[in-house]
Amino acid sequence: MVLVLAIGDLHIPHRAADLPAKFKSMLVPGKIQHIICTGNLCIKEVHDYLKSLCPSLHITRGEYDEDSRYPETKTITIGQFKLGLCHGHQVVPWGDLDSLAMLQRQLDVDILVSGHTHQFKAYKHEAGVVINPGSATGAYSSITYDVNPSFVLMDIDGLRVVVYVYELIDGEVKVDKIDFKKTSTATL
Amino acid sequence: MPSSSGELSADLENNRRFSDLRGVQWRIDLGILPSSSSTVDDLRRVTANSRRSYAALRRKLLTNRLISKDESNFRGLVMDNPLSQNPDSMWGRFFHKAELEKMVDQDLSRLYPEHGSYFQTTGCQGVLRRILLLWCIRYPNYGYRQGMHELLAPLLYVLQADLERLSEVRKQYQDYFTDNFDGLSFNDDTDLSYKSDLGKGEDNTGIQKDEINDNYLDPKIQTIISFSDAYGAEGELGIVLSEKFMEHDAYSMFDALMNGDRGAVAMANFFSHSPSTQNGLPPVIEASSALYHLLSIVDLSLYTHLVELGVEPQYFALRWFRVLFGREFALEDLLVVWDEIFALDNNKLRGSSENESEVTFWILNSSRGAFISSLAVSMILYLRSSLLATENATSCLQRLLNFPADVNLGKLIEKAKSIMNLATDAINSIPEPIHSGGPYEAGKPKVHGHGHSRSLSSDVAAAASLVPESYWEEKWRVLNTEEDRKQVGLSKQVQNRIKGWSEKVKMLTKVSRSPVTRNLVDDIARSEKNEKLVSGNGGGEEENSSIFSDPVSPRGLASSNNMTNNNDHENETDRSSVASNSPVNENNPCLGPSPSPSITSERYCSTEDIGSPLPVSDVPEEDLFLKEVKNEDIIRKPMLNLRDRRSGKFQWLWMFSKTGPEGSSDKSEPTTSYVTDFNQKNAVPSSTTADETEKPEVVDNNNLKNLAQSMLENIEVIESVENLSKDTLEALKELRKISNLLSEM
Repeated sequence: MVLVLAIGDLHIPHRAADLPAKFKSMLVPGKIQHIICTGNLCIKEVHDYLKSLCPSLHITRGEYDEDSRYPETKTITIGQFKLGLCHGHQVVPWGDLDSLAMLQRQLDVDILVSGHTHQFKAYKHEAGVVINPGSATGAYSSITYDVNPSFVLMDIDGLRVVVYVYELIDGEVKVDKIDFKKTSTATL
Repeated sequence: MPSSSGELSADLENNRRFSDLRGVQWRIDLGILPSSSSTVDDLRRVTANSRRSYAALRRKLLTNRLISKDESNFRGLVMDNPLSQNPDSMWGRFFHKAELEKMVDQDLSRLYPEHGSYFQTTGCQGVLRRILLLWCIRYPNYGYRQGMHELLAPLLYVLQADLERLSEVRKQYQDYFTDNFDGLSFNDDTDLSYKSDLGKGEDNTGIQKDEINDNYLDPKIQTIISFSDAYGAEGELGIVLSEKFMEHDAYSMFDALMNGDRGAVAMANFFSHSPSTQNGLPPVIEASSALYHLLSIVDLSLYTHLVELGVEPQYFALRWFRVLFGREFALEDLLVVWDEIFALDNNKLRGSSENESEVTFWILNSSRGAFISSLAVSMILYLRSSLLATENATSCLQRLLNFPADVNLGKLIEKAKSIMNLATDAINSIPEPIHSGGPYEAGKPKVHGHGHSRSLSSDVAAAASLVPESYWEEKWRVLNTEEDRKQVGLSKQVQNRIKGWSEKVKMLTKVSRSPVTRNLVDDIARSEKNEKLVSGNGGGEEENSSIFSDPVSPRGLASSNNMTNNNDHENETDRSSVASNSPVNENNPCLGPSPSPSITSERYCSTEDIGSPLPVSDVPEEDLFLKEVKNEDIIRKPMLNLRDRRSGKFQWLWMFSKTGPEGSSDKSEPTTSYVTDFNQKNAVPSSTTADETEKPEVVDNNNLKNLAQSMLENIEVIESVENLSKDTLEALKELRKISNLLSEM
């Protein structure tokens, strides 16, 4: 019953002013145990805000992040799952599944969380799961202007992870969920 | 067991049938089990039902969220996601439950650490946690409040105690606990053959095994056995004393306690913050004001004292009520208290359930509630003297919140029961027959009116009469603590002092001349001695006084300057030691011959010593006296009673009070006794100490200083009395000067 928030690409203050109000009202401290952030926050204030939601915060460096001390990639173990984190601008072509899978094998993780494309994606392939939480503020990306704010909440419970996707479409929060199960020995 | 389905022994009284099985008794009192002449089978059925309902509740509320989540439909997602703010969503409930659990765990970890071997075990804590969580989830409008765990803990404890009793009995009477699944009691050793009697006779401890018969057993043991039978109605679920279902039983008890079983007093009310409909106050505040109302009826002065200090009742009553005195008594005592509380009926006495507005104090609306408030009042009364003595609210509260541990529970409960009448009256303006006036009046139909008014007035009268004595006594004791500790003849002294004190107060207001004259002082000395000796010493002095009566009488009548003529012995000492012939002087062995400035001090010194005769008055040693009184040094001998200097303080005050009218009248007779006392007093020190010359002087100086000290103290005491006349004030100033002189010497 571990709740992990995957969020990223906020681009505050350059491309967006703040998280959407509806998202902000949902993100209250005390419910979430971990936050993994793909990067491009970009400023320290956003870092502090995320820290206030949950003390356990993991960030990787995006190309516009002003704090250069974030690592390029990170791996975390939560429950039975190994999670890998990377911003994604390093993986070329951006958002390509096979390249991301390569990174996943490199990091040897069950779930890879990356961003940069500002599009929500959740793939399952034989090696594991790749999740892209999109942009929480709906900031424009290098590829497209039409971005829906989105983020992902993972509920890790034993060998099973439930992925809740929160998207702001036309001013309404839409929630979707996906189940993934891990077999005990192999990865997803 | 042959009799398992029959009626329980008829000779067991209805109400307290299971006085040794608290768990069962409390369950009956709280309304979970049927009472009065129900069979064991009935008890078993009701028990089984309550357990089934608890099990269902538990299943419903505590099942794993994940399992149910799989079946949730799509509509749920917006509502049912983890971040949903919706409190009804599964996740909302999940987080709510997690919060409750955190609060409960916090409290449980601090529960009864002194009985930690039971309460702090994981098993017990788990049971407590589950019960509390389930109750709070079931009644979401109360939530979990601190204190609920303390109500639950003793309930679990008595269930456990019952089980322990059961295992004791089992060990002791193990023959009787056979598994009689055929309805017959078989014993493996006995065959159906007729040889059994002969063969087994020697092995038994006197009980023929094929003759096991419940009639030989104590009825209580019988009940215990029948309660543990696994083959009665409802099978295992119906075992009344069952370890497996302890959690279920504890939950039902807790539920009944909190809900009040549709009666007037529901513990849950004490935990709710919402104001009740009638007067807009939260129920606990209302109950606290009921408490104070009751106190004002019983003991108005204490009530006003507390109100003046600003001690609001809910400061301490909140804790008392919410955990039903759980924090004020040790666990064993608490069980006794709860026995009494639960024994009383909780049905509403006035007002139907729809129309509650007739009742001003909801807590007093049942015998149980009335007893609870009366018990609280009797606890306050127990602390009465210390409460009246404090002058600020904080220390009052401190005393109330740290109820002493060694309290006489029986008395407290008796007092509470006597106040109960008043409590039930308090909600009625119109006399009305009140049913079930409490166990102490069982059987007698309680009719209001005459009986109540009598008891009411007698209670009030009793309370009123208590007031002046105890308060003044307390004041007096505070002032007298030191002397009291040191005195041998304590009781006599105290009585005398009390009299003297009140008289002194009276007298001071009448004093018209300066009390600091030798005459006066002499008179005082004499009369004061009289008073005390006559009252305190009884017969022992009489024979002595007769010996000296003749010489003494003229002295009594004369003024101070002539007084020395009574007794040759005394005269000698007088003349030799002091310029003035005050008889008081004789009593002052501590001061040797000294110039006039010390005269008055001598007087005072001696008056202080006056107190000393009393302790030694029982030892007539006239012979010794006759020989030795001629010896000046004897006078100076360090008195046995140096330590009584302080006690002498009040004799001195007495002297003060004995001015005027009393001085002259009683002189003749009392002086004799005074003389004898002096004799004895002198005799004793002379017999005790050998060293006569050196000690006195050293002692003298110390004595002087002590004397000055005590003088000052006395002066302060007197000054505290109101309405002092101008003369008195002047006199006090003089006294101050004298004491300063003394201290310099």
